Amino acid sequence: MARRLPSRCDMRILALLFAILGLPLLVAHAQEVDAPEGAIIDAVEMSGFSPYSLSPGLQKDMDALVGSPLSHERIRELASRIEAEQPEVVAATRSLSRPDGKAHVVFLVARISDDTDLVENINARYMVESVDIGGASAEVSQQLRDDLQKLVGKRLDTEEADRLSERLEDELPGREVKRRISKGSQAGTIRVVFEIIEEPWIPFIPPRSKLVYQADQGWSGVLDVPMTDSLRRYRFSVGLALGDRDDLIEVYSGFRLRFESRVLGTEKLGASLEFSRFNDTWEDATLAALAANPAIPGAYRNRLMLEPMVTFAFNPNVRISTGVSLSNMESLMQSPDSQTANAWVAGISADNRWQSTAGARQHAEASYQLRTAGKGLDSDLVYTRHLGQARYQLDHRHNTIIAGFSLGYIGGQAPLFERFSLGDTSALRGWNKYDIDPAGGQRLVYQTVEYRYRHIAVFFDAGSVWDENTASTIRYSTGFGVHSDGGFVTVGFPLNAGGTGATFMMGVRF
Amino acid sequence: MSAAIGRLSRRQTGVLALALIVTAALRLSAQTLTVKTVADALHVQARGFSFIDGPVLNRLKEGRSVRIDFEMTVLAKPEGPVVRQASQSFTLSFDLWEERFAVSRGGSPPRSISHLRARDAESWCLDNLTMPVTSLGQYGREPFWIRLAYRIQEPAPAGNEAPGERFTLRGLIDRLSRRREEDDLARSIDAGPFRLPN
Repeated sequence: MARRLPSRCDMRILALLFAILGLPLLVAHAQEVDAPEGAIIDAVEMSGFSPYSLSPGLQKDMDALVGSPLSHERIRELASRIEAEQPEVVAATRSLSRPDGKAHVVFLVARISDDTDLVENINARYMVESVDIGGASAEVSQQLRDDLQKLVGKRLDTEEADRLSERLEDELPGREVKRRISKGSQAGTIRVVFEIIEEPWIPFIPPRSKLVYQADQGWSGVLDVPMTDSLRRYRFSVGLALGDRDDLIEVYSGFRLRFESRVLGTEKLGASLEFSRFNDTWEDATLAALAANPAIPGAYRNRLMLEPMVTFAFNPNVRISTGVSLSNMESLMQSPDSQTANAWVAGISADNRWQSTAGARQHAEASYQLRTAGKGLDSDLVYTRHLGQARYQLDHRHNTIIAGFSLGYIGGQAPLFERFSLGDTSALRGWNKYDIDPAGGQRLVYQTVEYRYRHIAVFFDAGSVWDENTASTIRYSTGFGVHSDGGFVTVGFPLNAGGTGATFMMGVRF
Repeated sequence: MSAAIGRLSRRQTGVLALALIVTAALRLSAQTLTVKTVADALHVQARGFSFIDGPVLNRLKEGRSVRIDFEMTVLAKPEGPVVRQASQSFTLSFDLWEERFAVSRGGSPPRSISHLRARDAESWCLDNLTMPVTSLGQYGREPFWIRLAYRIQEPAPAGNEAPGERFTLRGLIDRLSRRREEDDLARSIDAGPFRLPN
């Protein structure tokens, strides 16, 4: 006997009703074979709901089925009437073939509120016919694709679908994933589409929030709070720095306000404006180094900065930026005297992500920035600063390799916040910047290699920071640690410090 | 000729002003609150207070569900003070095959209903937003005002609520700080004074 194609009612909720009601009665009363169209109905049954709750008319029409030829269309119509009369339930039908060739019709009824998936979304009653990825599907790992396809052939599991959306967003940083459902090609089935919405060509600057501890330097904290959704065309953010000594030679506290627009008429053009005000304190070692070297511009008690920038994107991967950086620094020793450091800023950056057929995900990025301050911008300090950086990351299964390289050069008299430093929680880990060059340097070379297996990491850093007309000393460090979702606990060992000391670091970047 | 144009302009201006007044009046009258008591429960009815439209409707028709948080506030006088507040969440979805709306009420006991048209789904939500009359105390005998407000929320991804969830500080900051698109999908109306029948 040919098996009847799944009907709309059957497909959409039979699985649900079997799960809720069990329905052993069906097996007891009839063979598990669908009755053919036209078979004489010898019994009609309703399960999971009292037929006396239905209207007399509907009860009568259901009773009238007995003795009549089976019409699937007629039965589906009655199921729809049950749902229409009792909107708190869903109904399906089964028509099973008896050994004598007659049909046994069962109306399977269940309350929506008894099923959390249905409560969440009524479409969870339907079978998933297909799952598709819209957008940058080539970048999705095979494992995740396979997991997405596991939704097919089952009722829509909204919780699992949400988890898969999150996994997609994790694999495709900066992009939004929207889940859409539409009717399938067969009645009672649905198509699920995970739509990946591409990131605009000009990204927002990465968040700078962190709370880190370095044994020699203590705590540093920065909190960047975006006030608008990161997926919009613009973003306004407020940043607070609390005694941050992790980035620069100075220890700064204060605030920054930043506005970014990454689509100015066209996605190729963006702009940003950042205003910041920081109060500065200084390590004794820095003040001593400044006293010993009058060629370095002096320390300041606070710093006011305004940076308007414009960015142009050639394509989604390559961008150039230009603008000015206007700074005013109130002297620490001769307050209220102040100095200005007003620089033209220009830079180029490129990044790319790709995935191999073996599932390895790679991300490479490189940037170069030039800052040149001169009399043209009424700057007291005249200097030129070049900084080139490159970073590469490979993720494959539980393995991650990260490599980075930086090269910097300063000519002239750059203020202290522009000078290079190494020896913190992210660069030349294990060393203390105030031991290496407490006033920072005009030259920089640095490289890092890190390997992570799951959350365990080992690294090797090497670099040097020095001044013009002084000798360069390459310093090495290694260490290990645990990394998880921006959090880290690391122990770094300077390799050529002449001692066996270790430096403990921990914190979180988010 | 110019006088005729002037008269015509004044007439047009008058018609326009009248149309504006009528439109405004219709809009006001189209969104009116009424209250009723059933047993010990205070119900609110809001004619013209529709929320299944625009982006909410688009989202539902894409097969996504929408959570709506309702709040009914009883005020002693316009703009406060607050006498009593009741809130209730509902999850809406749109049955793609039946082309009808389904609504589920959170809390205990949970209730769900399907096969509703948009306006019926809206009414069902309001019918399930109640406040015990006895909780109003003396204000049950005095005039009071009602504020009805709703806010559209996207249901939190299930993964965020699962045991052993992946908690991220970045995510926390995003949740605490960002103004989501849905923030724009919030409305409230005030009305009064009302007095409960003795």
